[in-house]
Amino acid sequence: MLDLRVLEPCSLQSSLAACADSQVLGTAPPTFKLPAVADLDGFQKAAVQMVKPAKGTTTLAFVFKHGVIVAADSRASMGNYISSQTVKKILEINRYLLGTMAGGAADCQFWQRNLGTRCRLHELANKRRISVAGASKLLANTLYSYRGMGLSMGTMIAGWDESGPGLYYVDSEGGRVEGKRFSVGSGSTYAYGVLDTGFRFDMTVDEAVELARRAIYHATFRDGASGGVASVYYVGPQGFKKMSGDDVGELHYKYYPVPEATVEAEMEDVTTS
Amino acid sequence: MSITSYNGSALIAMVGKNCFAIASDRRLGVQFQTIATDFQRIFEIHETLYVGLSGLATDVQTMYQRLKFRHKLYNLREERNMRPETFASLVSAMLYEKRFGPYFCEPIIAGLNEDGTPFICTTDLIGAKQLSKDFVVSGTASESLYGACESMYKPDLEPEELFETISQALLSSVDRDCISGWGGIVHVVSADQVITRTLKGRMD
Repeated sequence: MLDLRVLEPCSLQSSLAACADSQVLGTAPPTFKLPAVADLDGFQKAAVQMVKPAKGTTTLAFVFKHGVIVAADSRASMGNYISSQTVKKILEINRYLLGTMAGGAADCQFWQRNLGTRCRLHELANKRRISVAGASKLLANTLYSYRGMGLSMGTMIAGWDESGPGLYYVDSEGGRVEGKRFSVGSGSTYAYGVLDTGFRFDMTVDEAVELARRAIYHATFRDGASGGVASVYYVGPQGFKKMSGDDVGELHYKYYPVPEATVEAEMEDVTTS
Repeated sequence: MSITSYNGSALIAMVGKNCFAIASDRRLGVQFQTIATDFQRIFEIHETLYVGLSGLATDVQTMYQRLKFRHKLYNLREERNMRPETFASLVSAMLYEKRFGPYFCEPIIAGLNEDGTPFICTTDLIGAKQLSKDFVVSGTASESLYGACESMYKPDLEPEELFETISQALLSSVDRDCISGWGGIVHVVSADQVITRTLKGRMD
């Protein structure tokens, strides 16, 4: 019989879990049964392969003078098939923290909701809001403990805390990096091109929102796996606000209107009298 | 990824009342990246015969060039244009010549017979002909296209109604496919005129 306790999350959380109240409080880590298959490694490899193509998306976030802008498209694709054009890829963890979704949708939704729970518990235990650095570290540590098990997430945690705007990139390989500008997903290279060219630290909020919208639009144009609706959020001292959600099909004709076909005037015969 | 879905494509041909319509998307891509939005997939062989080619873009262009060459020679020798059925047989034979190293394209042939009745057919990549009375589809979005055509098609449509039907079928299908779309082009061919229109579609 294999000793699978090594696969469980870190020991501090296990001892918390041992406490009878912890399941009720939510401090106990979620417990997941492992599949009862003969070849666990093979099964895990197949599970990783199943989720692999799912990073078809474009998400971006950047810090500027007035706060953080977070933007994403809304397409979900399974191979070449578009399964949905209306996926919510910017998840509201709490009133001043946003997370983006790239990779496995279920993984992102579940673990970011779990992160929201733990951030709230931190507030109650410490009588102050958690910092963006702290929140992203909580998520990164959780993902690190599931490393190699096939979770697929490339998420950005953006928010506003006492030290101002914060932005971290956290992924399912266990990586966590702080930064001022990120784009994640198959359309990220196209978004970077527009974002890097147009970025100025002292933009106004409206200019920053328009830059993010344009970057997502250009990514949806070039990348087949991105599309649908370009959503843009702004996080400032008062918390987050959804600034716009525009259908990229309509954005294209707004940015590049089809010129009216000129009708040439026909020559009329001159009557001689 | 399969070689036939490397560039992405979508094609439909539909039969109407003494007319036919042939439509395609306009995207040329390299897997998920879009390279061009004005790629030509439908080619005129003669005034009342059109061929549309889906699949690998390089084979689309080569097949068209070879077919154009063969038709020009036929014209010089026979002193008339090829009939649609004959052309379909030519396409089928040319594809089967490459049976063990095929062209990765699936053509749609659409034309008007001498008596004005429309003719459409499609072949697979090694030349199996499939005649049809109503519509034929081809490309990476073919399953969506079949569904859309099956529900939207009605027999004996006039050219204007046929244009509406084929456009809606094409646009709604490519909107469910990542690698085709980015606009559309439709040719509606009757005995006396050809109307060509480009479609304003979603560019994502």
